[in-house]
Amino acid sequence: MDIRLKIVQLAHALLQKAGRGGSFPGTLALKMDPDFIQKFKMPPVVILVTGTNGKTTTNNLIAESLRAAGLRTINNRRGDNLNVGIASLLAASSDSDFNIRADAAVIEVDELTLYRQFKNLKPTHLIVNNFFRDQLDRAGEMETIIRRIQEVTEDFDGHIILNGDDPNTLRIADTAHRAKISYFSVGRNALSREQTDEASEGKFCPRCGRALQYEYYQYSHIGRFHCPYDHFGVIEPDVYIEKADFGNQTFTWQGKEFHTFLNTIYGVYNCAGVLAVMKTLRLDPSFADQVFSTFEIKEGRNERFELSEPCYINLIKNPTGTNETMKYITGRSEDMNLCILLNDNDQDGHDVSWIWDAHFERLNIPNIKTIVCSGLRAYDMALRLKYEGLEDRIIVIENAKDAVHWLNEQHMLSYIMATYTALHSTRALLRREAGK
Amino acid sequence: MKLKILWMYHDLMDLYGDKGNAEVLRVRAQKRNIECTVDTCTLGQKADIADYDLFFMGGGADHEQSLIYEDLIARKQNIIDAMHSGTAFLLICGGYQLFGQYYRDQDGKTIDGLGIFDYYTESTDRDHRCIGNIAVETTMDGKTFKAVGFENHGGQTKNVSTPFGRVLSGQGNTFGNEYEGFMNGQVLATYMHGPLLPKNPMIADALIARALKKNYGHVELAPIDDTLENKARETMLKRLKAL
Repeated sequence: MDIRLKIVQLAHALLQKAGRGGSFPGTLALKMDPDFIQKFKMPPVVILVTGTNGKTTTNNLIAESLRAAGLRTINNRRGDNLNVGIASLLAASSDSDFNIRADAAVIEVDELTLYRQFKNLKPTHLIVNNFFRDQLDRAGEMETIIRRIQEVTEDFDGHIILNGDDPNTLRIADTAHRAKISYFSVGRNALSREQTDEASEGKFCPRCGRALQYEYYQYSHIGRFHCPYDHFGVIEPDVYIEKADFGNQTFTWQGKEFHTFLNTIYGVYNCAGVLAVMKTLRLDPSFADQVFSTFEIKEGRNERFELSEPCYINLIKNPTGTNETMKYITGRSEDMNLCILLNDNDQDGHDVSWIWDAHFERLNIPNIKTIVCSGLRAYDMALRLKYEGLEDRIIVIENAKDAVHWLNEQHMLSYIMATYTALHSTRALLRREAGK
Repeated sequence: MKLKILWMYHDLMDLYGDKGNAEVLRVRAQKRNIECTVDTCTLGQKADIADYDLFFMGGGADHEQSLIYEDLIARKQNIIDAMHSGTAFLLICGGYQLFGQYYRDQDGKTIDGLGIFDYYTESTDRDHRCIGNIAVETTMDGKTFKAVGFENHGGQTKNVSTPFGRVLSGQGNTFGNEYEGFMNGQVLATYMHGPLLPKNPMIADALIARALKKNYGHVELAPIDDTLENKARETMLKRLKAL
């Protein structure tokens, strides 16, 4: 028995009892013992989930699918993907001798810190969703992130599951010579395009530097591409999705129909990744389909609150995710108000310049009546929208509480897009406002 | 009046929202009834830079910078011709660095710059970068004012004879430097992203005036409503205790 582990577990139990989660136990653990994480005897299956967008969703879809298949599974379901969150999860799931009481662990790991924790977590699987421009001051250049992940996977001999339609993730296959690599890919569908104005990274072949050729784009730089000179991007996918149907929320794989939990292209990619994981574990994909049909995105992923009229809140953190959220919102034809909460705290990223890389011109449709700009950088947001000809529809209400109250008073459908640190406080405000 | 802008390597040198600068120049010119065109030019494409009134180039990661480098060097004479013809220049980050003597990256690999100015840039290691909000005080064409931006550079630029501004908060050309960027009567080169121009309309207007000078001599630009611009800038100046 390890006394420090016991203390951490006790702290966790007390917080649980008080109805509070959080990563305090992990912070405490790492303070007492910096090598805390590597002490655990991990279960036979350890799946690490990383990438820029969709980590939390993918993590939960995989964990639920494994549970449906009968595996005792632990996962950091709220997206606490830094060292302290992972330490909390492991402490809460282990006996007093560092044995994890589970058949499988599915762990979302922040793409920036993955290289530090990779070996300590003793993974059997690594799944990489995508790499987009994210909060760049936090992330540094994407080049550094990819290079570091390449370094730690060079001698990894487990499974690596990659989005085969992202030139950035595919680079990992070029250097992970010992791993068993699987790819997932999504075929042409109603949303695929021959041209794009969204791609910002990965336009060039990482092997030879020449321009990549795309047969089609799905969103951002995700699509079917190859280099005509050295064949980078020519893959045989282990999971190839066809007939993605966003109206019926279905797609097919190997002739069998599956359901999706969200009618967006990135939702289909999340499902494809999960199916690729199921395949490497030789688990029946119908367990995953059960999860896809019933899964609800929670906590700031199109989460609904009952104000005077429904209000939905979405997390935004980078141009690609924001573009996809806006596509979804502007697909609705009802009159609505919008609120964009832009903060620049540590977890949001101090640099808000990414709003200039996102396609806010999409909001210039007549059924969006007013856009409330709020948060610490409300005026930066307002200024960004001014440049999309939305000047007459912007109001600035810096205080989030007042902004939520304003939305409620309008008696109109509304959507909130909030950066990370604004999300949780705004959800609390919405709950209170809905209870009035 | 006409204003012709060339946005160089728009598809490669576009980090941290730099594209917003081109948009600001275009919109602010149009509001003054100036007929403004923004052309783009990238690897292997032809353009006569001297034919333009304003040349804009943004920042790029090391990888992108290495892709454009040869193409840029091949245009050196054309760039010098443009300077002689009176074209104004806005260079951000990587664009700034490449107009100097050389750039040494974090792995010690050195690429020659255009060598038009005396400054040179040496990168620190990967884990140490000048990152954060920055405020400077500058004087452009007789007017002194404060400007804000976001710097994010590993490169330490030295031997700058005439900087763009005095640092009020942030790092500047090197860690803890008193000065930021490079400027002469024709060229503004800076590490300030943000993007630079939306929150600093005084810089945008000064650049437009400099560009118009090429064909029209001194032009007085009519004032326009900058309430949101000023609010956004003042919010940051206040936070940086630089107001």
